[in-house]
Amino acid sequence: MTTIERPRYRAVGEREPRLEGLHKVTGRSVYAADVQLPGMLHARLVLSPHPHARITALDTEAALGHPGVVAVVTADDLARAARDGSNPARGASNRADALFADREVVFAGQPVAAVLGESYAAAEEGAELVHVEYEMLPAVLDMEAAMEPDSPLARSPVSDIDHTEEDAHVTIDVRSEEAEGRATNIASHVSFERGDLDEGFARADFTVERSYRAALVHQGYIEPHATVAAYDAATGEVSVWTSTQGQFHVRDTLMRLFKLPETKLRVVGCELGGGFGGKMIQSATVATACALVAERPVKLVFTRREDLLAATPTPGSVVRLRSGITSEGDLTALEATVIYDAGAFPGAPAAVGSLLISSFYRWPNLRTDGYEVLTNHVSVGAIRAPGIHNITHALEQQIDAMARGVGLDPADVRLRNAARTGDLMASGKPFPSIGMAETIEAAAAHPIWTRRDAARARSTETTKVGVGLAVSGWLGGLQPASCELMLNSDGTLNAVVGVMDISGVNTSFAQIVAEELAIPVESVSVNTGDTRTAPYAGIAAGSKTTITMGRALREAAIDVREQMFAIAADQLEANPADMVLAEGEVQVAGSPDRALTFRRLAAITTGFGSLYTPIVGKGAISARVQAPGFTAQLAELEVDTVSGNITLTRWATVQDAGYAINPLSVEGQMEGGTGMGIGIGLSEEYLYDDEGHLRNAGLLDYRMPTAADTPDIDSVIVEVPSEEGPYGARGVGEPSITAGGAAIANAIHDALGVRVAEMPATPERVLRALGRLAD
Amino acid sequence: MARQTHLLRVNGREHEILAEPNRTLLEVVRDDLRLTGAKEGCGTGDCGACTMLVDGRIVTSCLMLWPEAGGHEVRTIEGLADGSALHPLQRAFIEHGAVQCGFCIPGMILAGVATLERTPGATRAEIRDGIAGNLCRCTGYQKIVDAIESVAQAPAGRD
Amino acid sequence: MRHFDYARPTSLAEAVRTLRSLGEGARPLGGGTDLLVQVKEGHLRPAALVSLAGIAELDGVGLAGDGSLRVGARATMQEVADHAAVRERFSALADGAAVVGSYQTRNAATIGGNVCNAAPSADTSPPLVALSARAQIAGVGGEREIAVEELWSGPGRTTLEPGEIVTAFVVPTPPPGSGSHYERHTPRKVMDIAVVGVSTQLTIDGGVVAAARIALGAVAPTVIRAVRAERSLIGRAVSGEVAAEAGRIAASEATPIDDVRGTVAFRRYLVEKMTSASVLRSAERALG
Repeated sequence: MTTIERPRYRAVGEREPRLEGLHKVTGRSVYAADVQLPGMLHARLVLSPHPHARITALDTEAALGHPGVVAVVTADDLARAARDGSNPARGASNRADALFADREVVFAGQPVAAVLGESYAAAEEGAELVHVEYEMLPAVLDMEAAMEPDSPLARSPVSDIDHTEEDAHVTIDVRSEEAEGRATNIASHVSFERGDLDEGFARADFTVERSYRAALVHQGYIEPHATVAAYDAATGEVSVWTSTQGQFHVRDTLMRLFKLPETKLRVVGCELGGGFGGKMIQSATVATACALVAERPVKLVFTRREDLLAATPTPGSVVRLRSGITSEGDLTALEATVIYDAGAFPGAPAAVGSLLISSFYRWPNLRTDGYEVLTNHVSVGAIRAPGIHNITHALEQQIDAMARGVGLDPADVRLRNAARTGDLMASGKPFPSIGMAETIEAAAAHPIWTRRDAARARSTETTKVGVGLAVSGWLGGLQPASCELMLNSDGTLNAVVGVMDISGVNTSFAQIVAEELAIPVESVSVNTGDTRTAPYAGIAAGSKTTITMGRALREAAIDVREQMFAIAADQLEANPADMVLAEGEVQVAGSPDRALTFRRLAAITTGFGSLYTPIVGKGAISARVQAPGFTAQLAELEVDTVSGNITLTRWATVQDAGYAINPLSVEGQMEGGTGMGIGIGLSEEYLYDDEGHLRNAGLLDYRMPTAADTPDIDSVIVEVPSEEGPYGARGVGEPSITAGGAAIANAIHDALGVRVAEMPATPERVLRALGRLAD
Repeated sequence: MARQTHLLRVNGREHEILAEPNRTLLEVVRDDLRLTGAKEGCGTGDCGACTMLVDGRIVTSCLMLWPEAGGHEVRTIEGLADGSALHPLQRAFIEHGAVQCGFCIPGMILAGVATLERTPGATRAEIRDGIAGNLCRCTGYQKIVDAIESVAQAPAGRD
Repeated sequence: MRHFDYARPTSLAEAVRTLRSLGEGARPLGGGTDLLVQVKEGHLRPAALVSLAGIAELDGVGLAGDGSLRVGARATMQEVADHAAVRERFSALADGAAVVGSYQTRNAATIGGNVCNAAPSADTSPPLVALSARAQIAGVGGEREIAVEELWSGPGRTTLEPGEIVTAFVVPTPPPGSGSHYERHTPRKVMDIAVVGVSTQLTIDGGVVAAARIALGAVAPTVIRAVRAERSLIGRAVSGEVAAEAGRIAASEATPIDDVRGTVAFRRYLVEKMTSASVLRSAERALG
């Protein structure tokens, strides 16, 4: 469904099945763990069992004596990996650099060593024989207690916070301030202020003050982190096959850590088995270090347990809100405290979370404080729209409570106060073109919303039905992008890009090239090169790939077209300005018989003695204007008031895609993000014991929704064009995850009249909210 | 640890395998037979990415020792298409946009095959039940259920 | 996986001898869906696994001449769940087998493995207890038979001697007017482990309960019977109030722990509500 009339194109805008689908349904695609090299060793990790401790002894002798064990690599051995003898892990203050714990372990599950074996079993057995002695240090496990001045410290003080995870996903002008020089667990603090809070609350007819919690959750990609790294001592070449969203990011990191020249380093981003913000670099650093030390190829594939314990899931949070509304439905003031549990290394999205909680609605008066707090939980990374499902769960319940408090329709209140294009964000920067209001309007017109009274009427004594609405969005990231596009001798085109295809973007790129060159999509092959064959590309994250690389492809196609026009005009003795494209030919406008086929153009630009240069198009762009995407989601659910179980019965996800270049894959992004939001809302959470050990490091008890837990999802695409995205497209990957948990929470309130302030809304929490369960 | 020899019949071909018995069917098929379509997503039978058909029934091959498959007919995703002719479910998955990252897809398609075998004309709810052992994180299952349903509801059933 | 030996005997006698000779470090291997997870996670470190796959004596689900049900230890969960006679006359067992894991799990997991791994949360254990099943055991000294609840001595621990193998479960024919039921609570609809499992069997004669068995899963170190709750039903017509009372009593008989799947308070609450509901459901089946 679209709400505005779509511009007509020939190739873009069509539902195009993924180009590489055939490889995937037949099991042909090569993922990192599928790579097997001669003489390859298997690496197994030794993880810290303690959340915070000092390593007092590390004995590898027994492990090295075990049959089949070739080497044990610890933090001390990293100087042998780096080409200049420096040790990257020494004093590392960001997670990517801290390959192994160096004297101090700061979370349970932190890698302490890797054991390399001729077989997986040998490495596994060797890992059990690595003897580590620990001296316990106090573990800091509660983010609010950690902020107290007298709290023990979660770790030795760090400086130079690495913001890659945040920057990969979003481009904002604000940066949370680092607490340098002071011994505190507050890694950074950001604040926004507007108007006069007291005045705002004085004007309010109704005020809501509540506190909300969201759990630490995992991105849940089905492919665990995996890398095969090889080092050839004779040539000094390092080759790395890895599972990453950004192969150039992996290249740059390995170069920096191990002082490798880029001419000797090749990173191959393999087919990616899901990333969702969590696949930057984890296994590649360790595997490469091991290969450099052992001088043999090394395969490191995380077990699921390791991936849950030692990768970079995304933070839990506490959000405290006080806000006011007038009886007409005007928001008057927001006072917000946003706290993210960063785990043991800084990198939580405090800045963007605080910015967006303050900016989605027109608050005339506001004060927001955001904190990123260090604890001895696993260090966190990004997820789709990092930090935003947390703040949306709080903000959208708050809006719902305020609307109900003054007896207004929650959709109307949202629409009345929603940010519009040009409104100032809390940072003072204006929103570029946004479609928040159009998105809310489409949701409010959806049958799940308009017929919610009929749904509620299905309620029985023990089954209560409710409908909830929540709205959110994502600003999107910006990063330069470049690509090449070459005319083949049969008249088809090959494109080379260096960005990882995680959402079907290569198919959209083919559509863009086909559009600009008026050829069928099947005549375009989009190829992901490695870091030595592809031009530079950013990380596939932040919903920016289509809007940046897509623009580059469009430029490259236009470049090819102009080159073809110039050559054809010369051959046909016509003016380049009079050239047109038609069915794989360049024609003189109005004289279809005066034409050169693409195949002929290829022949005359590549033949012996050709006077023309080969046709190679270049696309290189720097991005300036973001293309934020908004979503509105509707949950209809049944609560069993005896068991506390929730059954989702209907769902709609509305999203502004700007312009859907490939509606099939746009829907896929909306449905996938919705599925994740449902898991975060209902069943997924890291469960720690009182000592800081993760109790559910497996997919049985870390409960991602199955097909049987997931309802049919009605995807409704809204198209409000962006300024710079190709054909008006916006980033679509991230908004869809943001609003699900909040929509569920609002639906539960609609059904029961009570709020579940903690996410996920597990049966036990629902029963406690109902007062059915004594504490 | 004594290696053992057993015959393993995979996708209609007999292989004489000499290997240590502590390896799973998944490991031997992937590493020794180099059929890497089946994936390891969890190693504990909770995600279904390693799904194979053994005597026509789906199992998690990460929890089957490879000698246990001896004497049985093992089928992997590589053995589903008949030459260049895709199985109707493979075609449907492509056409409906059910494939995103693709990591769960080999197992998911085999679970779909088993679902339609067990319940011809399966409803959406029966399809969801049939693939509940296969986690997918990309699709929200929507287009996967659409794809399987399109084959379940096709007039000729499976062609 | 860590190294271990593997043997695949082809007869029951050979299996018993093999297990006996390998001693404490050897474990029988059924479907592997639980055992191999425990090996992979390091909870179990067997020196050898003795596969039961080649032993025909352990297969099959069927009714004996006296109407009792014999379920071979190697019968898979899916076989049990799909078996017409089990569904019709031993409903609780079909209920339990049908909810284990996924189709993939149920196609491999065996009832012998489910019961002998002695997890208090095993889904076929409460039904077998509620249905008064007996376990047939083969060992070096011959065969013996015990009530299924006598198999467990604690979480993950059985009373089996080294070399002993459970060969089958025998479930007596329920008297006329009987109905049974199993239900569990899980956060996900499927692919989950019971937070609490409750199984009941009622025999109703002349409008009142003549016999009752209630078995509770995941609320004690082993599956237990709620004997006082059972007694509270005898001689009474089943009503909402009578069922609720049985639920309250059952909750007081449970001794749950706090763990990752639920708190003590939540589990006790569930035992009360689920026992009550299961009693009503069994009564319905008894009368239907």
